[in-house]
Amino acid sequence: MVADLIESVAKIVFIFSINLGFFAPILGWVERKQSAVMQDRIGANRANIGKFTIIGLFHPIADAVKVLTKEDFVPAGANKFFHTLAPFICLVPAIATFSVIPFGGQYELFGHHVNLVIADLDVGILFVFALTSLATFGVVLAGWSSRSNWSLLGGLRASAQMLSYEVAMGLAIIGIIMVFGTLKLSEIGAMQENFLHWGIFIQPLGFILFFTCAVAENKRVPFDVPEAESELVAGYFTEYSGLKFVMFWMSEFLEIVTISGILTTLFLGAWHIPFVTDAMLLSFFQFAGPNGATILAMLVNIATFFAKVIFFIWLQMTIRWTLPRFRYDQVMRLCWKMILPLSLINISITGLVLLLWIK
Amino acid sequence: MSEIAKDLHTEHMVINMGPSHPVTHGTVKFLVTLDGETIEDLKVEIGYLHRGFEKMCESGTWYQVFPYTDRLNYVSPLINNVGYALAVEKLIGIDVPERCKYVRVIACELSRIADHMTNVAAGGLELGAFTAFLYFVEARELVWDLIEMLCGARVTTNYVRIGGLKNDLPDGFKQKTLEVFKRCRVLWSDVNKLLTKNRVFIDRVRDVGTMPAEEAIAYGFTGPCLRACGVPYDVRKANPYLVYDRMDFEVPIGETGDNFDKYLVRMEEINQSMRIVEQALEQLPGGPINVDMPYYRWQSKDDIYNRIDSLIFHFKTVIEGIKPPPGEVYLAVESGNGELGFYLVSDGSGKPYKCRVRPPCFPLTAAMPRMMKGRLIADIVPTFDMINMIGGECDR
Amino acid sequence: MTQFDGKGSQVTVGVPAGRLKPKRVRRNLDLTLWEKLYVFEIIRGMYVTTKHFALNMLGFVLPPRGKKRSVFTVYYPDEKVVLPPAYRGRPVLVMRPDGTERCVACGLCETACPGHAISIVGAERENGERYPLSYVLDMTRCVYCGFCEEVCPKEAIVMSSEYQGLAETDRSRMRYSKEQLLRSEESVKGRIEYIRRIYSKCNY
Repeated sequence: MVADLIESVAKIVFIFSINLGFFAPILGWVERKQSAVMQDRIGANRANIGKFTIIGLFHPIADAVKVLTKEDFVPAGANKFFHTLAPFICLVPAIATFSVIPFGGQYELFGHHVNLVIADLDVGILFVFALTSLATFGVVLAGWSSRSNWSLLGGLRASAQMLSYEVAMGLAIIGIIMVFGTLKLSEIGAMQENFLHWGIFIQPLGFILFFTCAVAENKRVPFDVPEAESELVAGYFTEYSGLKFVMFWMSEFLEIVTISGILTTLFLGAWHIPFVTDAMLLSFFQFAGPNGATILAMLVNIATFFAKVIFFIWLQMTIRWTLPRFRYDQVMRLCWKMILPLSLINISITGLVLLLWIK
Repeated sequence: MSEIAKDLHTEHMVINMGPSHPVTHGTVKFLVTLDGETIEDLKVEIGYLHRGFEKMCESGTWYQVFPYTDRLNYVSPLINNVGYALAVEKLIGIDVPERCKYVRVIACELSRIADHMTNVAAGGLELGAFTAFLYFVEARELVWDLIEMLCGARVTTNYVRIGGLKNDLPDGFKQKTLEVFKRCRVLWSDVNKLLTKNRVFIDRVRDVGTMPAEEAIAYGFTGPCLRACGVPYDVRKANPYLVYDRMDFEVPIGETGDNFDKYLVRMEEINQSMRIVEQALEQLPGGPINVDMPYYRWQSKDDIYNRIDSLIFHFKTVIEGIKPPPGEVYLAVESGNGELGFYLVSDGSGKPYKCRVRPPCFPLTAAMPRMMKGRLIADIVPTFDMINMIGGECDR
Repeated sequence: MTQFDGKGSQVTVGVPAGRLKPKRVRRNLDLTLWEKLYVFEIIRGMYVTTKHFALNMLGFVLPPRGKKRSVFTVYYPDEKVVLPPAYRGRPVLVMRPDGTERCVACGLCETACPGHAISIVGAERENGERYPLSYVLDMTRCVYCGFCEEVCPKEAIVMSSEYQGLAETDRSRMRYSKEQLLRSEESVKGRIEYIRRIYSKCNY
């Protein structure tokens, strides 16, 4: 009982610290720096302590100080309660979603069973969808309660876009669920121990469709029509400032991490290294004793998982800085006329293959 | 659906896009009436950057107009300089030396490259393609470095003079230009790869902002926007000034006049302009760059320092201004946006009696409501960018 | 030659096609399947940006010869761009070796200045030489056009290459007096030579 409690607390603290303490601030820096180097610039490097700038890594701290000291502005005539509530509704699901994503396998440590996922739900993937659709409310509320035309347009666009892509995303993922036969993310992860059984090889079309939908769900370029800055100033968070603005900003970055986590779990072999099984890993670390070997294997698995997550983050950032943005009607057309039929085709083909060959 | 909508009380949403809005680079305001996302009505309100250029010109001497012309189309200032100088020279009836003509062509084309690059880059930026923007801004920066080397300033050039130029080409200019063009071509092809065949970009710009050729002429379109409609009209070919008739270049034309055509025409014109600069550098003759006419061109420093008659004359021409014969003249040059015309009236005194500018982007801006009615609000972005309204030129 | 028959009147625009050599830029209207599927062109775009990324990262680690890095940016306060000799910065007055100004208060720069930034009050010394009693340059009005330098018959005012400290928070501090503008002949020697060269007789 106590061991379970300690395990849970340790996992929650770990995920919280790595998400809020590492990814959220660092991604802001990464986005600025990566885009800069990609665009033949140098990027942010002015924040310094004394003479040290360490390639701009002080900027997240400087930004934090800046937003904390900024005025918290609520426009005249805005609904104060919902205006304040909206960023929380956006941020909380973004943080909570990671609780069902396994960042490592299952281990026997000091006679105790360790499962490296905060909540190993049977309906893990459905839980993810449930929570991400909650974020829609935050966006719509933000757009409506700001009492600004631009915000309202942004909120409307966001609601339509996010609801549509919710549908397409759900359908895009059915193929992989059919193959693995479970909704439990830790089981899906465990099944991809063999390199050739990775989701991306079994469901290449499903991967592309899900990836597209996930980026659209997160409202990033090329799908950032709700906040398209050249059309709607900043869309639904036009009227936000200070800490509330940062909440939207952080929820966006956390969603990048979450999406990368889901993609890794479903399609890129979760915590597994290609061609290395768990048994091989354990036997490789034999020299450290049984418990030591387990701990080392666990660390390697966690590191592998986060390396893959970082790869997907890099991919998303590269796409964000490469492409122009869609128009609003084109986003919807892409969803209903391309992704939806394609995912249905994907489901049919997967079903046929399962029925005729596998069974 | 219409039965339901009949009883429903719905209002159009009126929003002010601008004068300070990310899409209105250059200050302009759109009063947009929206039905959902569809534009029901669009009114363009210009004049936020009105500085009284034409009136200011009347209060200075003929020479003092040059710094003002820099600020007309501030992305391609050298073309404005050249246009004004050519108009005054036509009024006076002088012909500049050969070398001066070539250098002016080089200056014009460098400016045009910078102008088109800025325009295409800004178009990419506003559609979200930030990287394409910065690649072209880097290329433009290199071109501006050349212009700085030539004139001593990047934007406020003030380079051309009546009957000549401020200074000759600097040493090593040709070599530097060829180096810069090499890099520009690399960046051009990168932008081309990022945008031209990218379906996201094509979907955004194609069949948006179309204009039939007849209507475009009726509106008074010129320049890349008219050529995008399929009308082969280019002042450099139709009425060659300077030495454009000796240059071998092509005039790119489009078909439907939509934003994709405008984009492609501009991209091709960058290439053609680079070709012109290379040819001009190749053919560049020696000799003086200024006319030796003390009545109209301020004299050489050698004379001013050493000869009393020249010094006295210098004082007279600077203080009273040069005095073109009475008369009026209209002369157009092909600027980045189209036909940039100068209509000058002289009453024989040292100051222009009237200096009127035909801004090429004024008719283009006037056609915005025609191009935008019934489209989506997001279509304003590429359309307004591709007509390239420059506040300084449109509002003067 | 393009002709349009619009409501009875004939509109003719352009020049004969033979002289014009128009070049159609429009590609075929239908997208190829390759372009219709977004993915491949997106990957090609990502290849371009990633290539830039990789080359620039390499440039940070192994800078190309003669440069600090391969990216184009100049770290402004730490590094400075090399200005061409033509560069026009703040106009300054040239001082003779004995500490007096070259200016003889003829007023040509005052007249030629399009922004009316210069105001001079002239006076006469004991030996009959004219000099500016006060020479005020209002930098809020100066547009750096360089006309003052171009008309000056005494090489007394030149456009220096100073570009720092031009902005102030207070307008009154941007009115520079003669004493603030005086520079020694040595410091602006290059510019004086440049002026002599570009306005020399061979260019006329």
